[in-house]
Amino acid sequence: MEFIQAQGVSKEYAKKAVLRDVNLQIEEGDMLGIIGQSGSGKTTLLNILSGFVEPTNGQVVYYSKVDQRPKDLHGNFSKIKQHIGFTPQHSSIYPKLSVKENILHFGQLYNIPKDTLIANAKALLQFTGLYNDKEKLAEQLSGGMRKRLDISCSLIHKPKLLFLDEPTANLDPVMEKEVLRLIQEVNKQGVTVIIASHHLENIENTCNKLAIIKEGKVQSYGDIDDVRKPFLKQNLTINIKTGKDKEKIIALVKKLPVSKIVDQGNQLVLYPSDDEKALAQLITRIKEEGLSMSDVDIHKPSLRDIFTKLTQ
Amino acid sequence: MNTLWLLTKKNLQILIRAKSSALIVIFAPLLLILLLGLSYNTHEQYALRIGVSAPSLTNDVLAFTNLLEEQNFTVIKYEQGVDPCLLDIKSGYVHTCIELPTSLTIEDNNPKEIIFHIDPTRINLVWMIQQSVGSKFSLREQEVSQQLTQSILDRINQSSTSLMQESTQINLLKDKTTSASSSAQHAQQSLKTLDLTFTPPAHDLQVIDNTKAQLVASASAIAQASTEVTKFNLTGAQRIKINTLLTEANTAVNTSIDLIDGSQTSTIRGLIEIFQQDLANATQKMNSASLKVQDSASTLDDTKTSIQETTDSLQTVVGDLDKIQQVLNSGKVTQANTIAAPLRTRIEPISSQGTYLNSLFPSILILVVMFSSLALGTTLVMIEKNSPAFMRNFFLPVHKVTFITSIYFTNLILNIIQIAIILGIALFFLTDSYAAFPAVALILFITGSVFTFVGMIIGYMFNSEETAILASISMGSLSLFVSGILLPIEALSSTVRSIVSLNPFVIAEKLLREIFIFSSPLSSIWFDLVILISYALLLFLVILLIESFFHQHLVDRFMRHHHPKHKEGEKK
Repeated sequence: MEFIQAQGVSKEYAKKAVLRDVNLQIEEGDMLGIIGQSGSGKTTLLNILSGFVEPTNGQVVYYSKVDQRPKDLHGNFSKIKQHIGFTPQHSSIYPKLSVKENILHFGQLYNIPKDTLIANAKALLQFTGLYNDKEKLAEQLSGGMRKRLDISCSLIHKPKLLFLDEPTANLDPVMEKEVLRLIQEVNKQGVTVIIASHHLENIENTCNKLAIIKEGKVQSYGDIDDVRKPFLKQNLTINIKTGKDKEKIIALVKKLPVSKIVDQGNQLVLYPSDDEKALAQLITRIKEEGLSMSDVDIHKPSLRDIFTKLTQ
Repeated sequence: MNTLWLLTKKNLQILIRAKSSALIVIFAPLLLILLLGLSYNTHEQYALRIGVSAPSLTNDVLAFTNLLEEQNFTVIKYEQGVDPCLLDIKSGYVHTCIELPTSLTIEDNNPKEIIFHIDPTRINLVWMIQQSVGSKFSLREQEVSQQLTQSILDRINQSSTSLMQESTQINLLKDKTTSASSSAQHAQQSLKTLDLTFTPPAHDLQVIDNTKAQLVASASAIAQASTEVTKFNLTGAQRIKINTLLTEANTAVNTSIDLIDGSQTSTIRGLIEIFQQDLANATQKMNSASLKVQDSASTLDDTKTSIQETTDSLQTVVGDLDKIQQVLNSGKVTQANTIAAPLRTRIEPISSQGTYLNSLFPSILILVVMFSSLALGTTLVMIEKNSPAFMRNFFLPVHKVTFITSIYFTNLILNIIQIAIILGIALFFLTDSYAAFPAVALILFITGSVFTFVGMIIGYMFNSEETAILASISMGSLSLFVSGILLPIEALSSTVRSIVSLNPFVIAEKLLREIFIFSSPLSSIWFDLVILISYALLLFLVILLIESFFHQHLVDRFMRHHHPKHKEGEKK
């Protein structure tokens, strides 16, 4: 298994700390989202993890299945960088070259054999939906198409790691969805993806791992559910739209592990003290009692809620 | 108006806060002026290296070279003829060759010729040489002219002294002549008083004639008688007769005697006495005359002596005048124009004098290549630095040397195209120089490389393209100003000059001139060529160092440029 690990990474610009003691590990096949406010250091972290920027302290370790031993990423960057693809926030392509020329140019520089390169390029163009526009100049493409071309250029050498900085920035919702779908497809093909973004919903819907960063410090890191877990108790609610059995249901609920009940008229908002048990018991008891209710809705805390909580 | 001021203020603020722009926009011209000012702010003598060629280094030649050396010109002496000196002009080692005669002394009416060999293609240098060396030469010419005039004046003075001496002699001569004149006058007067008048008496010369005739007849008769007597066997009678005859003859003779020596006054004796008296008178007069003559002779002797002395004095004067004439003739320089301009200069160009284009062509070529290479090198680096693909390139398995080299090769291709165009056009105008074109192209290629690298260094060092271009133009301008094209570098202060001589523009232009104008082979310019190539290699290494040194800066800069929020974050 391949992985990349940040060990006590910190970064200073002009003696000002931008990142502080970052520790995290990204494993093969992960799709890590780095979120944070503007200026929180997420792009710096992405750049350090990708090898583009060297940390002031700490190191980034890259573990390869081939070598079977961890290596300092920055110290061995010239050997490791061929496994890395990077798509910065702004397009990193040559506007005056066509779609095909851009892909082939970067592919050729990776020393990919010509036949393989052409096949890869064709596959990529089809995969990214740019095949019909392959002769267009990059500067003539729309924002979404340009982003797809950017990703294509990052994938032409079949990297093991793909770093994306704000991949959906400045895209309309349709394009945004399209790009995210593309990224997911890439990940499904076995490419480890690291995304830095402040589009929390996109990260929540796309990534399996999350790093929340605030003022250069990682506030929370792990699988999204693991990140969310500490916030469930305070933020999980069960919303029940009651009918004529409202009072009975309230009485029933009071016997359950619920810390707080809010009566909103047609709807009861329950704050369970134990999410899993409370919900299961509630549904079982309602069924047993034969009480009527029109809808049950579990409202877990969103990433935005968690993010807001963590970054306040 | 307020709006205008606000906009202007904003522009100034932006300009000043963009440090490098402010630095270049405001300080680059100042720096340029400062550098040029410091460079040319000198009263030092033009640093000309002057080759002096003469058949032998005589005192005259050495005096001339000393005159030049006193003015801090560097004088290089060539005794092996002028050709090595001409080669050194072509190589730029010396700026002019002065071909001197063995002696600068003017010996006849022909002025001495001094030949200045100059490189006509270096127009401003020719002017400088004429101004600097020409003044020293004029000084020397003035000295020679002065010597000639002094020589003439010396001769005139010498003649004047001689004439003064001769004046005494002539006065003496005059006295002697006066004395002789007086003596002659005296002799004349003496001779005038001499009375040599002698009135002959009116003698009757018929008596003498008659007597003479009778005596002749007598004599004849006697002689006849005597003859007859002897021829015939005479009888007594005959003899008597003969005797009678002889007697008669005798009587006649006696009569004659009486006529001659008788008592009459009209006899011969009387006549003789009268004659004697007359003769006595005459003798007396003659004696008197003789005395006068003797007196005159004595006087004339004195006169003769005086005249002789005068003749001698005149002879002396003539001799002295001859000497004066010799002295005056001893000056062989007699023509006024030779005395006024004893040294004649001739300016001899070392190369065939073509059009101005021929002369300027090397400079123009280097100028074009320099500016285009600088601008291209800077622009391409800036394009690459500011390219959106900069970050992607970072992840490519391509060594930075390859990137740098690719920028260089791009420049090179453009340069080659440019050179081809320039030389192609030049073919129409410079038809005599076809043979030099390959070497010219080689030098332009190396020069283009050097300035491309300089441009690339500027590109790596500056942030904005505008600033970098301005910096490269400033660099080009500085190179141009201290290249010798506009102002001769020989006019620079010595310190700056030693630095400026390392200017690749100067080296390249020199190489091109040697190849193009003097048709020198590449083998003769290899040293400068190696220097130029070394520059290119050195600059390439500098680029590598700068790229390594500034890499992190470039990364940070890229991040700032392409990630404004990051920049905002940094500010926070």
